[in-house]
Amino acid sequence: MNRRWFWGRILSSIGVLAAVLVLNFILFRIMPGDAVGTIIDPNFSPEAKDRLRELYGLDKPLLEQFFIYIRQMLTFSFGLSFLSRKPVWDELLSRLPGTLFLMASSMAFSAVIGIWLGIKAALNRGRLAERIVLRAGAITASFPGFFVQLVLIMLLARTFPLFPLRGSVSIPQPTGAVSVTLDYLWHMALPVISLTLMGFGGWALYVRNLMVKALGEDFVLMARARGLSEGRVIYGHAFRTILPPIITILLMSVPGLVSGAVITESVFSLHGVGTFLLEAVSGHDYPSAGASFYMLALITVISNLLADIAYGIADPRVRVGGRDQ
Amino acid sequence: MTYILRRKSVILLICIFFAGFIGPALMGGHPSDVVGAPFARPVWWNSQLPLSSEYSVGNDGAVIEWKKLPPEIFALNGKITADPGSRVRIIWSTTEGDMLLDTLEGSGIYWINMDGRDMIFKQKLGLPLIGKSTEHLFPSNGRYEIRIEGASETDLILSLPGGRQGLLGTDQRGRDILTLLIYGIRTSLTVGISATLIASLLGLGLGLATGYIGGWFDSAVMRAVDVLLSIPTLPIMMVLAGLWGKGLWQLVLILSIFSWMGTARSVRALVLTVRESPWVEGLRALGAGRGYILWRHLVPEAAPILLANVALGVPGAILAEAGLAFLGLSDPRLISWGRMLHEAHSFGAFTEGAWWLLVPPGLGIVALCLIFMDIGRYLEEKIDPRLGSAKNA
Amino acid sequence: MLDIKDLWVRYNSIGGVTEAVKGVSLCVEKGSFTGLVGESGSGKSTMMMALLGLLPPRTEVRGKILFNGTDILGMSDSAMRDIRWKEIALVPQGAQNSFTPVMKIKSHIMEVLRVHLGMSLDDAETETARLLGEVGLDPGIKERYPHELSGGQKQRASIALALACSPSLLLADEPTTALDVIVQAEILELLSNLRRTKGLSIILVTHDLPLAATVCDRLVVMKDGSIAEIGTPSEIVNEPKHPHTKDLVREMFRQRDKK
Repeated sequence: MNRRWFWGRILSSIGVLAAVLVLNFILFRIMPGDAVGTIIDPNFSPEAKDRLRELYGLDKPLLEQFFIYIRQMLTFSFGLSFLSRKPVWDELLSRLPGTLFLMASSMAFSAVIGIWLGIKAALNRGRLAERIVLRAGAITASFPGFFVQLVLIMLLARTFPLFPLRGSVSIPQPTGAVSVTLDYLWHMALPVISLTLMGFGGWALYVRNLMVKALGEDFVLMARARGLSEGRVIYGHAFRTILPPIITILLMSVPGLVSGAVITESVFSLHGVGTFLLEAVSGHDYPSAGASFYMLALITVISNLLADIAYGIADPRVRVGGRDQ
Repeated sequence: MTYILRRKSVILLICIFFAGFIGPALMGGHPSDVVGAPFARPVWWNSQLPLSSEYSVGNDGAVIEWKKLPPEIFALNGKITADPGSRVRIIWSTTEGDMLLDTLEGSGIYWINMDGRDMIFKQKLGLPLIGKSTEHLFPSNGRYEIRIEGASETDLILSLPGGRQGLLGTDQRGRDILTLLIYGIRTSLTVGISATLIASLLGLGLGLATGYIGGWFDSAVMRAVDVLLSIPTLPIMMVLAGLWGKGLWQLVLILSIFSWMGTARSVRALVLTVRESPWVEGLRALGAGRGYILWRHLVPEAAPILLANVALGVPGAILAEAGLAFLGLSDPRLISWGRMLHEAHSFGAFTEGAWWLLVPPGLGIVALCLIFMDIGRYLEEKIDPRLGSAKNA
Repeated sequence: MLDIKDLWVRYNSIGGVTEAVKGVSLCVEKGSFTGLVGESGSGKSTMMMALLGLLPPRTEVRGKILFNGTDILGMSDSAMRDIRWKEIALVPQGAQNSFTPVMKIKSHIMEVLRVHLGMSLDDAETETARLLGEVGLDPGIKERYPHELSGGQKQRASIALALACSPSLLLADEPTTALDVIVQAEILELLSNLRRTKGLSIILVTHDLPLAATVCDRLVVMKDGSIAEIGTPSEIVNEPKHPHTKDLVREMFRQRDKK
């Protein structure tokens, strides 16, 4: 593995994280003027305000506050939530798996379906499969995800009650590990289906364009000339070559995925970081809001880094470097 | 430029524009006026449900021929004048017998303000407290009559808002969806267009500056672009909306802060290629100043790209605005399509099965986005004819 | 061994119909070195693709291509796959990216060895090193990626790849274009040596008459999809009959005189 490239990626991830940390700090402390004025209820007595200032470390100089804040963020000690009076980290920890599951499964489904359809479309130029892919890709970009989800709820949870209307678990919750898992999957089905529905079109269009280009390349013709089977030519040669750009789009889709998860969670009232952020923002719970934003940004940065590394593994031109670079 | 006016999407956009900015003035009334029963269906849906009707009730009462399902609301408002000594009785005569709605005594003027949904009203008539009182007030089809006994002058209005109201029905408060929809156009267009314009100008400025000045400024701005592109924007916009307030212009500002990056990148790339081109070098050799080259050559070169960028950027801004409003992070007084969906979602559209609360604003957003995408692609093709054929090749 | 009888190829595209090959008949003997000379658009590349059964879909082909007595044109896809590379192999144009960029050189060679000859992984790896040595490359090159090779190295690797399954017919499609003169000579010499040591038949497709004349034992001059003239290099160069051949030869001498 090309060391310089690898450390460069790590360094740039750290840079993005640092920028997020600074942004988060500035947003919550400097922007709204007097921090106490906005963070703490203005109706408190001056003594109570001072006590709270001390409690949240707001009486210290800004630079010191900044270092304390950085330490807190890096050790995940986010303090107590204003709303629930529980540690923010505990709250986040209970919600993180749901959000990650939602993101990962919808991404996996839309990527797999999209890639498969994209390849099909590229192989069947001018036929129905290609026309579907071209349309789906263009239309899903103009549909607000939450609208599609609302319509799906109306159809599949209300008119034909196949899925639950809202929530991550049934109330009361079933007993037994198997039924708990099944119940959870049943609740997650519609969110994941809707996100997949919104996501696969873009993937398919992208993969189709890459694949059409790859199939026209000399090396594909040469692979055919070598008497290789169509499957080997398409998957072993053409598809392997477009794997690096596919990983790039994976990387670029993560921020959008996070945004999608946030909205989806509130449409379906799921137990996740997104709903937590929304509650925190609407309830002026600043420690929770800051921490959830930080967590979501962290998810993005980490997945970007993973995608970068995967890209390097898939594309020898990056990994080994050479005269073309 | 006239060819662009023949494009269907442009014509459609102009129509929507007029509907959004002139429509409200023509419609009269305020969108928050309650015009009918909550969750009334569109008039063209389910003709078993009655339309809204109103009857003025004089001394002789009023006669009503009822041929539909019961109305949603039974409301009687107005004034009755009577001799203080006499006793006034308001009687609702149904197909299954008479009901005494009220007995009034001991005053000269009575203000009547009766609503079938009131608990007191239901109690007085001995109706079940849960459920619609109108089902008991209108037990079957036939002849109904309201009679006022003992009044010297009656000036009442009996309003019977039905289960069907307006072209697109009503929302949970009984507001007309069509009116809300038309008022929502203005918000979507204003936010979408102005946020994209600001973002594009910002992107143009920064792109020109970075491309032309280069050096540390260039790398600093490009770093910032990388960072902004790799942060999930919705969460940070939510935080900002929570901190800065939820007004229209705050929203525009928040949206534009997070959408200038693409434009800046493409303008910068353009500047870099144009800057190295022989004719710009020639100009420089002739002694043309930086400002002159920027203004006379780079800006005109960038303008068409910018135009297409604006058109292609508007859908994103409209969707983002709708998303924030849907999450409840917009001014509640500001009528927007996202807000309508938010209210539909939060106030029981699902329990009512009120699809007409969801579909019009949702399709409105989709239509506007598709229109702008089409215009953007069209402009892009006009600028670079290869794009069109390359996409279909 | 190869007998092309009255071959017609017509491309049907949206833009219209193009007759690329118009009634070509050609015989190639075992162990011969045939030069197929023509300008671009003369149909020589189309003929190569027809030999490999790789013409684009919706292409009309008439005539017969008999390879060891069997008609290639009528073959099923899977039968054709067995012929490709095991019997007829192709050395592509030097300028083409004929190697899949994300695969190592050895993966290309090992893949054909395993698919066509059913070799085990270890055997294929040893064979790969031997093949690379045979074309004068350092066996260590097998671990490299295509972008790490120079043009000449890439072309030698292409030849090693083409030789992997010991084909009886080698099609060399402009193998030396985009290479500098010294490397060109080396590659051509490599091809001639291989022909002698392995008893290969080679068809060299080129637009370069002098080049073909120096290495081939028979020249076929093509013009607008049909054969203009067939003969030995000395016949063609000294007594050209067809007007097009005359032009080519005149041009050839003019170029030489200029130098």
